[in-house]
Amino acid sequence: MPIEPAEDRGLPRRDFLKVGLGFSLALTVGTAVVGCSDAAKTLSTGYVFLRPGDVELFSALTPAVVTELGAFDAAKRSKLVERTLQNIDGTCAALDLGSRQELRKLLDLLAIGPLRYSLTGVGAWNEAGIDKMQVFLARWRGSRFATLNAGGNVLVKLTSSSFYVLPESWPSTGYPGPLEYVFNAINS
Amino acid sequence: MALPDIYTEGIASGWKVVDAAKLTAPQTMEADVAIIGSGAGGGVAAEILALAGLKVLLLEEGALRTSDSFKDMDEGRALRELYQEGAARATSDGAIAVLQGRSVGGSTTVNWTSSFRTPEPTLKFWAAEREVVGHGVDDMKPWFEKMEARLDVMLWEAQNANNSVLKRGCDKLGWEAHSIPRNVRGCWNSGYCGFGCPVNAKQSMLVSTIPEALRHGATLVHRLRVRQLQHAGDKITGAVGEALREDGRTPSGTLVTIKARHFIAAGGAINTPALLLRSQLPDPHKRLGQHTLIHPVVLSLAQMPERIDPFYGAPQSTASDHFQWKDGATGPMGYKLEVPPIFPGIGAGVLNVYSDDLRKEMAALPHTNAVLALLRDGFVEQSPGGSIRLADDGSPMLDYELSDYVWEGVKRAYLSMAELQFAAGAQRVRQAHIDASYQTSWTDAKKAIAELPLKKFRATLFTAHLMGGCAMSQNPKRGVVDSGGRHHQLANLSVMDGSVFPTSIGANPQLSIYGLVAQNATALAKQLKT
Repeated sequence: MPIEPAEDRGLPRRDFLKVGLGFSLALTVGTAVVGCSDAAKTLSTGYVFLRPGDVELFSALTPAVVTELGAFDAAKRSKLVERTLQNIDGTCAALDLGSRQELRKLLDLLAIGPLRYSLTGVGAWNEAGIDKMQVFLARWRGSRFATLNAGGNVLVKLTSSSFYVLPESWPSTGYPGPLEYVFNAINS
Repeated sequence: MALPDIYTEGIASGWKVVDAAKLTAPQTMEADVAIIGSGAGGGVAAEILALAGLKVLLLEEGALRTSDSFKDMDEGRALRELYQEGAARATSDGAIAVLQGRSVGGSTTVNWTSSFRTPEPTLKFWAAEREVVGHGVDDMKPWFEKMEARLDVMLWEAQNANNSVLKRGCDKLGWEAHSIPRNVRGCWNSGYCGFGCPVNAKQSMLVSTIPEALRHGATLVHRLRVRQLQHAGDKITGAVGEALREDGRTPSGTLVTIKARHFIAAGGAINTPALLLRSQLPDPHKRLGQHTLIHPVVLSLAQMPERIDPFYGAPQSTASDHFQWKDGATGPMGYKLEVPPIFPGIGAGVLNVYSDDLRKEMAALPHTNAVLALLRDGFVEQSPGGSIRLADDGSPMLDYELSDYVWEGVKRAYLSMAELQFAAGAQRVRQAHIDASYQTSWTDAKKAIAELPLKKFRATLFTAHLMGGCAMSQNPKRGVVDSGGRHHQLANLSVMDGSVFPTSIGANPQLSIYGLVAQNATALAKQLKT
């Protein structure tokens, strides 16, 4: 994958510099300008870590990271996305405080509309589409700012690992599932 | 064929096993020795002390998970239930993934069974450079023999295809390679060591020393997080534990007070320093939580013409030390070459790609071989290791920076692994690195590796071996504990886990912990009995 220059199209250098100093600072700047409504801070129903904005983000991100999902019909696809999100939620909740706080900073940053747009090129997650989400990931991971690389990596890994632990994903990987003779012997 | 569950039967026969999640009222528990942590160190210490006739209390933050719950052989369940932070533990900046166990048996419940004695150059370095006594090559030999016999450590000759790639590459290139001794009894060769052995063949602490300690009257308390050791003068006077809920994370509010003559910290090299830091124990020379070693791991991926099925078969059976001691203990960074098993979940994370790249690489999994290099950190000034500090709630955070010295080792390791994979017949090879693309020849790979930026968040970095942070040394200025594991400032506190290692080991550390703890716990039992 080519490394995109930091000052690439559509991403104001100014904002990159802020984020280059860390999510904390960017968030401080962001919330000072925009504020973060209390409603946005409540958990999404059925989740223990993800908030409604995070669910929108990962719902848009999952089909962009895992294009394998395109092979399933719409009903199955939405079910698998939901189970991937449940896994993401469980993993986030299992993190110790330090990592949980870092992740929260990243997700809060991405939940602030104007800042999100300038950092990711995406206006609303649910209108972004797969291509736009992939461009966002490529920019972050290709950036010369380690903080954006870190954010891009964690979003990709959380999503891909959370999908590929699902048994429904295994046929596409050639993993036949638990080694049959052992599984059958101990479960018979 | 239903396999009997050791714990179901043991508890029915009267073993004292307490699930702290079920406690509803504050308790006080008393013992001769309280051991905090039930992994490689705590498990061995519990058996030795219980057999010596001492009343042992074994305290574990994780839950008791036994073979009955391993029968699904499911990666997702294992990552959630058997690993620290749901297998998503990482250094404080997120740059290095940390795979560490968290259930009764600690990492021994999920490790890949590789059982190496501490390499001689490491033991010699400790004696010569770190003022460690009593752990020389001849001193340790009987203790390794004892633990090898205890845990059925045997050379494993059957190779799965993933390990065969490593063996074949080494043979082609004339590099040193050796079979790996494994701690297994009646192994079914399934490859599911990392998810909790489904057939109780792996002689983890869960199925060996802990049951034996329980047979000798020890008490096991799980889902109990020890918050603090209390001290007065040069004595630990007690400990406070908080019971955790069923989720194994959230305190239930029920506190457990622990009274004992002697305390042993055995939570591993992240959680033990954190416990001592939380307890604000004396640390006059600022050694606590310093010099944390991790064997930084980098990986190389290869597409092979033959089927590899990297998920099946004993995960590790061949290793190469060709680059480990080439320049002595203190030359340019040495590394050990091994292979990891690859299952879809963790595998996707290692690939660290998305979109069609991810789809194609996942589809190629049955033909994928991975080689890893364990970099031997902590032997020279330019490799000072990391450090442990506390988050606001007292949970541990690991800071770890990679110096130019380490990155130079990473680059050589990338080269070695690519050369080896091509020699073994790989069609294409790439590094687990965000900027790496597949190369189809060793010549092209060499050029591509030379261009790779050596930076955090670009190179995929892992650790599964946590060491240091409570280093042993006879010199209190250089260590937290003495060579016997006794705390320099607190008379009735010992540390018995990987955190006492003054450097990294240079090999998978479980047998190093078993041998050292067997020796130190035996000496402690003698002292406590007189």
